[in-house]
Amino acid sequence: MNKKNLIIGALLLAVVGFTSVWYFVFYRPTHHVRDIAGENAIVVSAKDIVKEFQTNESQANTKYLNKVAEITGEVVEAKKDQTGKPTVTIKSDDAFSNVFVSLRGDKQLEVKGGSTITVKGVVTGFLSDVVVNDGIVTKQ
Amino acid sequence: MIKKVFLLSLFSLSLCIGLFAQKIYATKVGQIKFFSTTPTEDIDAVNNQVDSKMTDKGQIMFGLLIKGFVFENDLMQEHFNGKDYMQSDKFPKAEFKGAITNIATVNFSKDGAYPVMSTGDLVIRGISKKQSAAGLIVIEKGKIQLKSKFKIKLKDYGITGKDIGSVISNDIEITVDAKYN
Repeated sequence: MNKKNLIIGALLLAVVGFTSVWYFVFYRPTHHVRDIAGENAIVVSAKDIVKEFQTNESQANTKYLNKVAEITGEVVEAKKDQTGKPTVTIKSDDAFSNVFVSLRGDKQLEVKGGSTITVKGVVTGFLSDVVVNDGIVTKQ
Repeated sequence: MIKKVFLLSLFSLSLCIGLFAQKIYATKVGQIKFFSTTPTEDIDAVNNQVDSKMTDKGQIMFGLLIKGFVFENDLMQEHFNGKDYMQSDKFPKAEFKGAITNIATVNFSKDGAYPVMSTGDLVIRGISKKQSAAGLIVIEKGKIQLKSKFKIKLKDYGITGKDIGSVISNDIEITVDAKYN
């Protein structure tokens, strides 16, 4: 009886062991995709984040690059990119420099220019706009 | 003195006219892909947030963020951005500024596919190199698209990760596809 339990226990352990090795060594590295929805975000307004990048880009890079930010502001326009993915531009105080967000999914966002929106996404840096990738709309 | 002022204002006036006569095409959602192939592995990534401007006089620029390249798996993306390869925390941008040398052969008001050559400075990881590339300007119903494919050597830009030459090829193929507004 005891021996039988021991064998079953050992087998179980072996199965768990093999599965986790397979998962962490082979499966996860090629299949894991970052899920920003569950990550804590830096909450900031579109006006402020643009100002931060304009005032001190390297400091803003340290603060925001590759981090998740939840950005609120007024919609300039909602469009699609070349591949058909939806994008939204959020207004700052400088007409030449806004927050540009590529959104997940494939449906063009239905928002009017001038309405307020909140978007969560990964900040990739500053070109003429602050650029955000993998965005999801959290409030509209 | 008066003559000087007159000449100067004439000069600035002509400069203004020249500037206004130049048409600028722009996009913020151009696409740049790169591709590495070795017997061990194919690696590709795409960036759909490329900023580009081109004038009908042939001036051209591209700007992109290294962290905007998306890979099919996160681990590759992490390695790519890490200290052995792109060091994108330190060098978040790549940039090309240059000129299309045979822009005179492109008729912007006539549909067609025009082969073009461009040459300029490509800055990756803070290192600037002269780069030439062949491409195609496609004009269709007033819409302007630029396509190009060229190769760069990783070691030209100081990228010397240990997998280069084995898992990652020494030369990376860059594909540009920008549809201007």
